[in-house]
Amino acid sequence: MKNLIIAAAALAALTTASQAQAIRIGTEGAYAPWNFIDDSGKVAGFEIDLGNELCTRASLECTWVVNEWDTIIPNLIAGNYDAIMAGMSITDERKQTLDFSDNYFPPDPSKYVAAAGKTFDFGNLSGVRIGVQGATIQAAYAEESFRSGNTILSFETADQALADLNAGNLDLILADGSYLAEVIAGSGGSLEFVGPDVMIGGGVGVGLRKADDELEQKFNAVIAEAKRDGTLDALITKWFPDKGPGPFFE
Amino acid sequence: MEIFVPIVTDLEFLAKPSLFNLYFAFASIPAGFVLAVFMALGKASSNKLISTLSRGYIYAFRGSPFFIQLFMFYSMALAFNMSLWKPLGIDWLMLHPLFLGPAILVLNTTAYTAEIFYGALMTVPKGEVEAARAFGMSRVQQFRSVVWPHLIRIAWPAYTNEVVFLFHATALVYFTLPVIDDQKDLMNKAGELFERDYNAFLHFSVAALYFLVISFAIFFVFGLVYRRLMRHLPQVQKIRFLPRWLG
Amino acid sequence: MFDLLPEWMKNGIGDDLLFWLGYFTNGKHLAWYASVQFTLTAAIVGAAFALLFGLIGATLKNSAFAPARLIGSGYTNIVRGVPDVLFFLFFPLAFEQLAELVLAQAVCTPLELASASGRWPPCADANWYLDTFQYLMLACVSLGIVYGAFTANVIHGAMRSVPHGQLEAARAFGMSPAQVAWRIHIRQMWVYALPGLSNCWLLLIKSTSLLSLLQIADIVLWAERLGAPNFTRSAGLVHPDWRWYYYLVLLIFYILLTFASEKVFAALTRRASRGMAVASAD
Repeated sequence: MKNLIIAAAALAALTTASQAQAIRIGTEGAYAPWNFIDDSGKVAGFEIDLGNELCTRASLECTWVVNEWDTIIPNLIAGNYDAIMAGMSITDERKQTLDFSDNYFPPDPSKYVAAAGKTFDFGNLSGVRIGVQGATIQAAYAEESFRSGNTILSFETADQALADLNAGNLDLILADGSYLAEVIAGSGGSLEFVGPDVMIGGGVGVGLRKADDELEQKFNAVIAEAKRDGTLDALITKWFPDKGPGPFFE
Repeated sequence: MEIFVPIVTDLEFLAKPSLFNLYFAFASIPAGFVLAVFMALGKASSNKLISTLSRGYIYAFRGSPFFIQLFMFYSMALAFNMSLWKPLGIDWLMLHPLFLGPAILVLNTTAYTAEIFYGALMTVPKGEVEAARAFGMSRVQQFRSVVWPHLIRIAWPAYTNEVVFLFHATALVYFTLPVIDDQKDLMNKAGELFERDYNAFLHFSVAALYFLVISFAIFFVFGLVYRRLMRHLPQVQKIRFLPRWLG
Repeated sequence: MFDLLPEWMKNGIGDDLLFWLGYFTNGKHLAWYASVQFTLTAAIVGAAFALLFGLIGATLKNSAFAPARLIGSGYTNIVRGVPDVLFFLFFPLAFEQLAELVLAQAVCTPLELASASGRWPPCADANWYLDTFQYLMLACVSLGIVYGAFTANVIHGAMRSVPHGQLEAARAFGMSPAQVAWRIHIRQMWVYALPGLSNCWLLLIKSTSLLSLLQIADIVLWAERLGAPNFTRSAGLVHPDWRWYYYLVLLIFYILLTFASEKVFAALTRRASRGMAVASAD
């Protein structure tokens, strides 16, 4: 079914390439700094760096496949790629259809962002236009909490929601704090965080098909290794400067 | 009987979404029709400026994909939100998919319909118009009693096809505009059902069935209107549609 | 790319212009320009399929055999009643699933097949991975199916426009029915079909804008990605929502494509109607 756009090969640093198992990793490519298409037209970001590192350590030959967010799980199940690294939070609902590796990003609060200077009564939101990216934990949360009395608009990508917020077509966006922090830093003061943090989701992990236990173990082993030796912490600090130096695990 | 159960379930699931497609089509038909009449007259106008503008409009909208028109006008409407819609107090309307969708459809169908009407306008016999003028009719009277009755009879079969095309174009609206709450159309819903169980054959076929049935209903109703338009002719003509790809 | 220019030239161009020249030739933009190949491939290969299906459809509709006529008109009517975008999404999916279904019968164990309810494909070996090129070809076939139905109507109409006298004359020469069809009927038909085919082609090129729905990185998808606002400094140039500028470029691109196509078809019509007693020969 739906598949491949731009693939950037990350050849594992192996002299005996024939030993390397080839896998494809699906990502969205529109969720900076997690994963995005950089100005040179290649996939880049925190997850690309991390994924390539993990693949090298696990002797996997990895290729990146860009796939739209709303069909990213069906395409994994259908076998168009073998793993998802797309800032996907580990949730019980998703665990019914796919497996996750151990988290490579700690549980991160979701946050509200609004045009600078706007205030809201979060205890009693009503008549507010809230933007979310479709099929995310935030979409589910907004649907559950604010459905009556407010308007919820779902977008294909987080960037599209951002465009609508900037144009004044939305009052609020609810999204991952890690994504929004960089957006606000780059907005030149036009956007700011408002309201309380919302703790949903259990960190971000590699999404895998339920049958691929072997691959899951491989990822778990190298994720644990990268956590131990500080590589993962360094990558988080590099791509999410506001997080500080860590440590982020334990 | 067992195999009909999922089909019936899908028919139920898709009943409400089909109303959104119908809404998009029927909200844009009247405005598109009226604007197209003026646009066709504009193209035929002896005023160089009006004629060039109408010609350009029709060419641009017929020459580019509706899918891109949707994308462009949505992001344009967004770009003018702060400077135009908000000060005018109409931002809630301008950016609402249930308004913006039909509005962009109107822009598109006006061009196609105007071209059809213009073609029909060119077939109006000169002698009849001259006779009307000789009777001392004003231009409005000439149009109402001579030009229009001729034009609409010639244009009706092609216009019928344009309406069906317009209805089909509604399938694209929600690929671009944001979905508010659960205001989903046939394509949204069929896609959503597909992502649950990957049964492409079932869900897309049922969605296609809705489009097919409604399309033929449009052909049928417009055929009745055509028979009424042609009632002065000695025998009822067989309805034969001249589709867009022949016009 | 413009860093390599000599200093005097850089000064002449100016920093602003130099920056924009650099920006519009960065990898992301080059990928956008290059993606025109998908649009053009889909249009040309799709048109070839449309012509093929159109000829088959018209032959069926012209057939003396009633069931064949039924299939022919069934095909054209169903396609006419369903939006092209639905075929576009449906056909590649259905084709892949059908292929995987056949594959699954061969490679999956009976146990896997029995326990696979609600899962697709039933076992990992039955998965058929399609790359961009294969997907593009499936998209072309979908275009061919949709516009083949339109083309079939055009060709069917054109075949009936060929003067009977010509066919009778051919028969009088002792040609077999196949010879009449191939040597006279189909060759004489083109000039009557050209205006309709031109319209089909114009609709088809507009439909190529739907390629992005099949996750093919075509001009529409890149325009969306390039124009989307970016506030993340590590992800490249920080800019607000620029999407409509990019879409405007696409709009103009398609209008120019339409314009060029019309010119080509006008020339073709002039050529085809040399020596023919039809209105377009003037």
